Amino acid sequence: MAVPALRGSMSFLRQSLTIASKDLRSELRTKEALNASVAFALVILLLFSFAFEPTEVETRQISGGLLWLVFAFAGALILNRSFARELSNDCLDALVAAPISGAALFLGKALANLALLVTVELACLPVFGIFYNVPWTQQFWPLMLVMLLGTWGLTVVGTMFSALTVNLRLRELMLPMLVYPIMVPGLLAAVQLTAPLVMGQPLAGDLIPWLRLLIAFDVIFTALALTLVETVLVR
Amino acid sequence: MDTRNFTYLCYGLVAAWLILCVYVISLGARERKLQRELERLRLLVEEKER
Amino acid sequence: MLAMTAIAALLLVRNLYVMLLVLPDEKHQNAAYRIMFFHVPDAWTAFLCFFLAMIASVLYLVKNDLRYDGFAASITEVGLVFGAANLVTGMIWGRVIWGVWWAWDVRLTTMLVGWLMYAGYLMLRRAIEEPTERAKMSAVVSIFAFADVPIIFFSIRWWRNQQHPPPADLPPDWWMALFMNWIPLLLLAGVFLMIRMEQERIERQLNGLRRTVHAF
Repeated sequence: MAVPALRGSMSFLRQSLTIASKDLRSELRTKEALNASVAFALVILLLFSFAFEPTEVETRQISGGLLWLVFAFAGALILNRSFARELSNDCLDALVAAPISGAALFLGKALANLALLVTVELACLPVFGIFYNVPWTQQFWPLMLVMLLGTWGLTVVGTMFSALTVNLRLRELMLPMLVYPIMVPGLLAAVQLTAPLVMGQPLAGDLIPWLRLLIAFDVIFTALALTLVETVLVR
Repeated sequence: MDTRNFTYLCYGLVAAWLILCVYVISLGARERKLQRELERLRLLVEEKER
Repeated sequence: MLAMTAIAALLLVRNLYVMLLVLPDEKHQNAAYRIMFFHVPDAWTAFLCFFLAMIASVLYLVKNDLRYDGFAASITEVGLVFGAANLVTGMIWGRVIWGVWWAWDVRLTTMLVGWLMYAGYLMLRRAIEEPTERAKMSAVVSIFAFADVPIIFFSIRWWRNQQHPPPADLPPDWWMALFMNWIPLLLLAGVFLMIRMEQERIERQLNGLRRTVHAF
């Protein structure tokens, strides 16, 4: 009994990884979304420093909100492209018709988006540290964990809605309109966790409920997306 | 009844009802638009059938 | 439908009498606490609507019948109307009691985020032409949105554990007044829903007619 099930989930993972590596390869060939996203993130980081005095100590306390807003805005660019990229030459129809499940296709796309978004974030963090004079590396690994969890929430919801809005004329507008309100709890948790970590607090005490919330958010929406993605993709 | 805060109570009740009224008006407007469209299409179908 | 509206109207007159002339003022809030008798049932109605919209969306995905989609779309819109009433009355009440229009209170903020999600749902519906595609996509959005409501509530509660008056320790005749005022609001919601569903039905009929016209 266990062996076919195991083999089934192995092939599911392999299919997802194939899709993910295909997406990453085609993105790395042009670097269209990646370049635009990094440039956009840097511009927003710069603009934020005009909104308040960037050297004050208090700005470190709002650093979590600042960073996650940048990531959410930059993420929308990448997520928009994720399925729209497949529209030319009817690639999307071919992918949907391919002998893999919609869930595997979705998971592959989400993993590729996660990798791209984390790349953007890793490019932003040092710039953020320099612009705002913040020694953000004190809690490096806990911070990375929070980044990964928060970004996964953003990608899983975003990839789902990217598939959902891919055929719309107002795609670029509809995606953030739908994704950001749904992301509120995930972003809130990520913001609440990031600010203390950037200021050097350890990941313990008050922060644990937020970590749990973030994990719960990720698990719930990953499960929901994997269940419903088939209906969205098959037209 | 104490009259302090009474104005705010009035604002509150008026606002609660105003929103419902606006919705009723918008429902009416949509109803008329749909009926007009229905009428127009019916005429069009009859014309083409003849 | 007329009977429902009439009952609702009679009940509302009776409730206004009870609220304004029978029930005494609250100790700290004086007259303004009476906003609650609309504010709270508005919220109940809105969440009931969103819940039923989620059920109808699941049913649509299972049965592929466009009538469920029409129901979901209609009831979401009605829920948004009552949600708006809840938000506005809440703001006015907050202005009296807390001195600010918006205090980032848990329930009110949850309602705002929910309101924005469902407004996005209606905008998505406008952006898709093809009926079955529209039904499928919006059903998925509705399910996602409703699954998010409790998570939003808890996250905002942790973010700001504050002021909303605890609902438990109201005197029984206030509870009575709350429920009595919920009945006419529910009746009105039902009337709106029926009108909206009839309009959705006409819309489907129009689509059929348009196809016939194009077929000639």
